[in-house]
Amino acid sequence: MELAIKIGVTMVEIAAAMAIVLFHVAYLTYAERKILGFMQDRLGPMEVGFHGILQPIADGLKLFFKEDIIPTGANKIIFSVAPILTLVPALIGFAVIPFGDEGYSFFGVKISPYITDINIGILYILAISSVGAYGILLGGWASNSKYSLLGGMRSAAQMISYELALGLSIVGVILMSGSLSMVKITESQIGGFWHWSVLKFPAPQFIAFGIYVISAIAETNRLPFDLPEAESELVAGFMTEYSGMRFAFYFMAEYANMILVSAIAVTLFLGGWYAPFPFLEFTWPSPWLWHFFWFAGKVYFILFFFIWIRGTLPRLRYDQLMKFGWKIMLPLALANILITATLLYLVNG
Amino acid sequence: MKKIKKILNDLFFLEILKGLVLTFKHLFVGTVTIQYPREKRKLPVGYRGLLSLLRYDDGVEKCVGCALCEAVCPSRCITVKSAEVEGEPLKRYAREFYIDITRCVFCGWCVDACPVNALAMTPEYEYAVYNKRELIFDKQKLLSMGDKFFPEREKPIEVQHLNVAVFNVARKEYPSHEEEGR
Repeated sequence: MELAIKIGVTMVEIAAAMAIVLFHVAYLTYAERKILGFMQDRLGPMEVGFHGILQPIADGLKLFFKEDIIPTGANKIIFSVAPILTLVPALIGFAVIPFGDEGYSFFGVKISPYITDINIGILYILAISSVGAYGILLGGWASNSKYSLLGGMRSAAQMISYELALGLSIVGVILMSGSLSMVKITESQIGGFWHWSVLKFPAPQFIAFGIYVISAIAETNRLPFDLPEAESELVAGFMTEYSGMRFAFYFMAEYANMILVSAIAVTLFLGGWYAPFPFLEFTWPSPWLWHFFWFAGKVYFILFFFIWIRGTLPRLRYDQLMKFGWKIMLPLALANILITATLLYLVNG
Repeated sequence: MKKIKKILNDLFFLEILKGLVLTFKHLFVGTVTIQYPREKRKLPVGYRGLLSLLRYDDGVEKCVGCALCEAVCPSRCITVKSAEVEGEPLKRYAREFYIDITRCVFCGWCVDACPVNALAMTPEYEYAVYNKRELIFDKQKLLSMGDKFFPEREKPIEVQHLNVAVFNVARKEYPSHEEEGR
């Protein structure tokens, strides 16, 4: 009986998390188009609903009813599997993201605002997000098109070189919190923004945070690192031959990845669900709501930053991208680990 | 000092920060978009839109069928079939007047060339049609355009010499041969 309730609760949690994430994916596209529009003195979508508020639904419907084309010469199985292979890792990464503190108990089963808390949470996310690169690479290869292949290749190269820096930038946080569990990492940052990993004594991780954000932009293939889908050179990169729902899957995967990466950044560096000041930790009407509020606020800020960067910077050249990844980001991340480890040793003994 | 500045620049991405500040400021600058079908821009004075033929205030068309517009038209989109009034060899008018809007370049030379100011350019620019042939405007269409956009008509010229082309056929009270001769 308890098992049944546990499974039921988990199912409901998964459904809720997926619903929230997919809603955010849909409206992130809208937010991006609006914010970019205003940054460029335009209005963005205005036609569907009040100020275009229903635009994501219209887009989804349009993509859903579009013809599903598989190009001749394409490897049909891989071509069909690749978008799913990209979308699924982007979505199941949310399994370990803690949205709030452990809270209520329900028929003896604790309900917590995260799907699961495994003790290797951050490793799980790194592993899962690496699988996403396969989807892009395979999709590029299976399309039987030179643009797709080039886009897929670039994407793979970029993801591999930036994943290193991304993984290494996290190490400092893991060293400080002493755990790989996302919940434990967040709980180690309790008590105001000066306890968040970015500013925490003895080794503030702001350099790691910068490296993480830059690598995250590169990981999600967004401007200024959107070489895999550089419109002016590669049509749409690995997505060139895709249409209809398969294209939508890639699109959703990109935005889901953005949200995932921002959520990880918030959890690791910006204190997760904790408020920036201890006196802002309200408990009325429910501490959960406030945890969601602070968490979502920080995630929105980082997402806004991603869009902001997209509205500001032009695309990097390919060699600049590689040089930046290997010659600057990687040594900086390594140096950060060294310094963090030394400081922790000196302070904690 | 310059070197330190450059290092600082590279280290903290100062140039990128400048760009970020600029784009952030533009979030609050008003937009320049005109929501076209619902919101139309104000046209400048002398806007050159579709052509139209005008009438005098008593409903008589101004055109005398001189075909100067046809002669001056650089894209040769105007066709004038001039004719004389029955029994009045000197009174001419345009029996047929066509403007092929698909070829018109809206230069306005025909308006300048017209000796009786019978042609005018309307501020109309929304003339998309499903059938391209509808864009070859005949006299009726051009006159109706003139009626629509220029409701204030000019008075006819009072004194007109018999042998001057500036003369209108359809008018009843033109100076007659006999009066003029004596």
